[in-house]
Amino acid sequence: MAAVSVAAEWQLLYNRYYRKPEIYSMQWKNVDLSRNKVACAPFGGPIAVIRDDSKIVQLYAESALRKLRIFNSAGVQIAETVWRNPGGRLVGMAWTDDQILVCITQDGTVYRYNVHAELIEPNVSMGQECFEQSVVECVFWGNGVVCINEANQLFSIPDFKNPSPCKLADPNLEELPLCAAVIDPQYTMSGNVEVLLGVEDHVLLVEEDGVQQLGVGVGPFQKMVVSRNGKLLASFTHDGRLLVMSTDFSKIIFEYPCESALPPEQLAWCGMDSVLLYWDDMLLMVGPYGDPVRYVYDEPIILIPECDGVRILSNTSMEFLQRVPDSTVSIFKIGSTLPAALLYDALDHFDRQSAKADENLRLIRSSLPEAVETCIDAAGHEFDVSRQRTLLRAASYGQAFCSHFQRDRFQEMCKTLRVLNAVRNHDIGIPLSIQQYKLLTPSVLVGRLINAHQHFLALRISEYCGMNQEVVIMHWACTKITASLAIPDAPLLEILLDKLKICKGISFAAVAAHADKSGRRNLAAMLIEHEPRSFKQVPLLLSIGEEDVALTKATESGDCDLVYLVLYHIWQKRPALEFFSMIQVRPLARDLFINYARCYKHEFLKDFFLSTGQLQDVSFLLWKESWELSKNPMASKGSPLHGPRIKLIEKAQSLFAETKEHMFESKAAEEHAKLLRIQHELEVTTKQAIFVDSSISDTIRTCIVLGNHRAAMKVKTEFKVSEKRWYWLKVFALATIRDWDALERFSKEKRPPIGYRPFVEACIDADEKAEALKYIPKLADPRERAEAYARIGMAKEAADAASQAKDGELLGRLKLSFAQNAAASSIFDTLRDRLSFQGIS
Amino acid sequence: MAQIPNLDNAPVNLSSIRDQSQKELITILKSIRGKKCLVVDPKLGGSLSLIVQTSLLKEHGVELRHLTAEPIQTECTKVVYLVRTQFDLMKFICSHVHNDVSKGLQREYFVYFVPRRAVACEKILEEEKVHHLMTIGEYPLYVVPLDEDVLSFELDLAFKEYAVDRDTSALWHIAKAIHKLEFSFGLIPNVRAKGKASVRVAEILNRMQAEEPVNMSDVAVPEINTLILLDREVDMVTPMCSQLTYEGLLDEFLHVNNGAVELDASIMGVQQQEGKKMKVPLNSSDKLFKEIRDLNFEVVVQVLRQKATSMKQDYTEISSMTQTVSELKDFVKKLNSLPEMTRHINLAQYLSTFTSKPSFLGRLDMEHTLVEAQSYDICFEYIEEMIHKQEPLVNVLRLLILFSVTNAGLPKKNFDYLRREILHSYGFEHMATLNNLDKAGLLRKQESKSNWLTIKRALQLVVDDTNTANPNDISYVFSGYAPLSIRLVQHAVRSGWRPVEEILKLLPGPHSETKRSGFASSPSYDALTGTIPHMDKVGDGRRSLVLVVFIGGVTFAEISALRYLSAQEGMAYDLVVGTTKVVSGSTLTETFIEKLG
Repeated sequence: MAAVSVAAEWQLLYNRYYRKPEIYSMQWKNVDLSRNKVACAPFGGPIAVIRDDSKIVQLYAESALRKLRIFNSAGVQIAETVWRNPGGRLVGMAWTDDQILVCITQDGTVYRYNVHAELIEPNVSMGQECFEQSVVECVFWGNGVVCINEANQLFSIPDFKNPSPCKLADPNLEELPLCAAVIDPQYTMSGNVEVLLGVEDHVLLVEEDGVQQLGVGVGPFQKMVVSRNGKLLASFTHDGRLLVMSTDFSKIIFEYPCESALPPEQLAWCGMDSVLLYWDDMLLMVGPYGDPVRYVYDEPIILIPECDGVRILSNTSMEFLQRVPDSTVSIFKIGSTLPAALLYDALDHFDRQSAKADENLRLIRSSLPEAVETCIDAAGHEFDVSRQRTLLRAASYGQAFCSHFQRDRFQEMCKTLRVLNAVRNHDIGIPLSIQQYKLLTPSVLVGRLINAHQHFLALRISEYCGMNQEVVIMHWACTKITASLAIPDAPLLEILLDKLKICKGISFAAVAAHADKSGRRNLAAMLIEHEPRSFKQVPLLLSIGEEDVALTKATESGDCDLVYLVLYHIWQKRPALEFFSMIQVRPLARDLFINYARCYKHEFLKDFFLSTGQLQDVSFLLWKESWELSKNPMASKGSPLHGPRIKLIEKAQSLFAETKEHMFESKAAEEHAKLLRIQHELEVTTKQAIFVDSSISDTIRTCIVLGNHRAAMKVKTEFKVSEKRWYWLKVFALATIRDWDALERFSKEKRPPIGYRPFVEACIDADEKAEALKYIPKLADPRERAEAYARIGMAKEAADAASQAKDGELLGRLKLSFAQNAAASSIFDTLRDRLSFQGIS
Repeated sequence: MAQIPNLDNAPVNLSSIRDQSQKELITILKSIRGKKCLVVDPKLGGSLSLIVQTSLLKEHGVELRHLTAEPIQTECTKVVYLVRTQFDLMKFICSHVHNDVSKGLQREYFVYFVPRRAVACEKILEEEKVHHLMTIGEYPLYVVPLDEDVLSFELDLAFKEYAVDRDTSALWHIAKAIHKLEFSFGLIPNVRAKGKASVRVAEILNRMQAEEPVNMSDVAVPEINTLILLDREVDMVTPMCSQLTYEGLLDEFLHVNNGAVELDASIMGVQQQEGKKMKVPLNSSDKLFKEIRDLNFEVVVQVLRQKATSMKQDYTEISSMTQTVSELKDFVKKLNSLPEMTRHINLAQYLSTFTSKPSFLGRLDMEHTLVEAQSYDICFEYIEEMIHKQEPLVNVLRLLILFSVTNAGLPKKNFDYLRREILHSYGFEHMATLNNLDKAGLLRKQESKSNWLTIKRALQLVVDDTNTANPNDISYVFSGYAPLSIRLVQHAVRSGWRPVEEILKLLPGPHSETKRSGFASSPSYDALTGTIPHMDKVGDGRRSLVLVVFIGGVTFAEISALRYLSAQEGMAYDLVVGTTKVVSGSTLTETFIEKLG
């Protein structure tokens, strides 16, 4: 029976089953692990191979120059390159979490390669001290490394995303530590890396700012390795014991005495349950209880720890050693009568058209959903496609008899398996287990695929999993551009657009930027044309020198900030005149420039206006400056009458006069200059600095207030002040100094051209009833008279005047303002009745 | 009562917008550890007071300062500037830093731009060699809810910048603000715009939708059905007239600032030392204010008197007779409204000291005469006399703008004469002001015949028998003049632009009407159906919304008129107002006043 043969391949470690299926037979030829340094990335990542320069090996018809070769996990070569790097022996080589191959040479230089064996610039150095005292040992973790140099000092790059080395505390060792291990920063208290060094009979814990002694007397240790979660430490002592302890050395979990005191070549955790020790031709798996499992190998192997097991790479094959998942055990364990096993068996009977199928089903009726679930789960753990299929069929068969079962579980698993099977294919060579896949997440997997230039598969997977395809298409487009130097711009654009349009809202600007970086400016220009977002489009247009287009696009967008961006760019790059003529024809750009320059670049703005012939605008600027001069005490040197201020105004005046449309401004400037002269003179004669910068009207009022009527008269004639304005000004000025006699004299000089209203208003405003009464009767309009009386509270007179005017509305209003006064109010009522107007309010 | 309005009754979820802004500000403050001195651009300070309580800022270790030219006096080593993107503010910041450097003070500087970073401002920081000392960030405050139904973009200079400096930054800002609203409330399917700026905003909005589409699947039915965009330029008559609603008058005389007025405590009947100022919040959280804010002031006085009388009556009853407990409870409930009553009686009394002045009444008369546009000479002489009497320049300019707009400019002789009289009376530095008004087309030379009379007639702007107590038309807000802007909104809401197209052509700027949908790649120009489709109700029975955006500011009187419309029977929509700023004729005119000196 099939089920029996499955379990026959398992090994029992105490009460747990382990299995070790071959997932690939390696496609490579002539690779001997023993001659090479090999770095294998976890999560089914690539394998880097380079001839080991620390060993003496025989060369077989090959170049003396070493080659760095990169394979996928199935041994298919992805890329190779010749190793020409200086810096002495290659000490450490490993993959980071981002699948960058890090190679560290003796002199402390860190070379980084991508999966295509392309060197990523720049190279990083571990620092002067590593350069002088060679690096002898490197210990890597996820995204970092710790190096030990000949002086037994420790250096670390905590994160390769930002590769800057730092020195750890000096452990002050005389000789090289026996062994070293690191605890990943994400599992330490401090958040910084902790290095464990096996020294004499104890361990030193080294951090950035301190050294601590741990586990005195437990060692000496020959080899150490920390578990994936940073909690446990497996170590091999000098007397041949395997010790598993917590990383803080607080307790020993278990101990196993090995037959050999020779330390194993490799020591690795298999999941969290067991530890693997590898000597020359023997692999020993030790668990906390029971006898260890032994495997014999006649060729060298490399252990690649994963989260749920260990991959074993040999010259010819890739195996995956893992604890058999519970669901699989419950189905395939010999003699299992668990529901899932019976369901699996039922399918077998069903296929053979045996009635026993039904019998089996009836046996497990109540626990059928659970059985289906188990079959689905077991399918997920299989690498063998036909076995996946059989298990899923069993599940599907059982599901048909379940009334309530979450059908998405089944669909979900089918989807996941399709993805897994696709990436496990030899050509892709990523042998992810389902657990690893879940830990890695689909989006990271897609990221790795595109880095490996498997765009099509990545696209299909992201589409299939309902993820955003933008990342994939974007990366594809950029890669395509890099790879298509031979294809002319137009056809390449076609090819790109064809794919870019798959994804809505994709950033054409990013692709265009890449095209530009790849030296294809023309293609970049064509691509930007398709970018709908102007805030991405415009800066890029500038960077490829398309300033005109950039200005147009910025203007169209309505975003003034973008226009400014373009403006400054052109301003900086072009000669002033060229800049001027460029913006002169674009109103928005021109106006924005003017606004900025008005505030910040006055002189430059003048140049602009002169170059475009906008003389009146120059005049305005000059005129404005004239006021700024007045605030500047340094500028008032020399005679005020011919001072720089007046000169500026006169210059403005003459520029205004150049154009016919600005006669008014020209005249005003002229008058202004004249006014300033007169005001200066007045200040000199009166010895009072109160005239400059007041208006003509104010100057007249000030003169009158000061009693200088002659000067007031002079200003009046000088500026042709109208009689009307003159009367208002003089009346108000006289009222201000309460010179009522002068006011009366003024009223009698001649018949005032605007009547006596100014006199009345001035007196009322000054609260001089008696004075006001002198002029009120002289008011021509009875309405005005009525209101004037009303304002000084003479109700009767007001009423009389209003009735004279025959204005009912006025009467009503007056009544309202006398509302508090009952007597007055009745007067209005009688009058209004007499007028027989309709009632108002 | 808080100055931050209660937004629970808003027709759309405005609190979420405010909460978001509040959260963003706190996130910024949290990102800067320890004590810090927050230096706020004074204009922004007002907007912020509608978003967060000062106490909340203090909780985050903030020492609050206003940004002026004066150097900052503080013990804090971290200085955080929160500024709008204005050039002059950059100069202040630079001078602060230079001052600190010269004194050897070591400080960390953070500059947060509102609503976003600006190349031009950073350029100034670079030129002044302080850019490298600063950490630059942005605080995306695009919209501030002033009340349940009013949103402000807080762009008080928008109109001047656009009309005079031809700087269109504000238009982008407005479009962005609306687009952000669309992300919360769904793509607005109908957009109607009148005026050059409005049409441009509609265009930019469509561009933004193309660049960063609002996903239609996120919002089932768009909550805002129609967007109406109006340029202030289209109707400069309305803001120049004195507002006669309660809230409008408060703004005219006491200047409502960010939902509050500041006045002498003595006016409010608070016994405190002389000259002490106090802030009175004005928003719809005040139930009485909500009731009377939109009424004509004449009516407000009556309503208040009525309420006071009835309360007095209740009081006499309560003191004279024995009451049941429930009657007592009712009475106590009424007593709760006592503070509100006193507040508004005090305010109304104070207002009436202004409104009863003959000068104010004369001015109202003149405004009506100007709007009637039948007696050119009387108007001319009145304004001439104002200048001669050197009345406050703003008041003169308000009437002059009204005069020029209704006459399509002034004949060259009068134009030059009045301008000369202004320069003579107020100083030559006002050449810049006149120039600004000319550029904006608000005070200009007559070049063609005015069509104001046609517009006035066609839109029935002057309504003779206006009943202010029981209004049957929006004209009640100006006691007889129906605001042109709101007439246009009335038409746009009812039937779209189509029936009024002929009149629209007489008003400045183009108009457009667009139908948008989340599915079509490009919005189609819809010329055929002007009517709003029958999708008037949002799912849960609420009325759907029309967002009316005024580019260049809106007055309280206009908002009142819109509320009046919204409350009418047969009105299918709730109206929400968006504006660059709530303005009055004076504050609007002041933005154009620029002294050369």
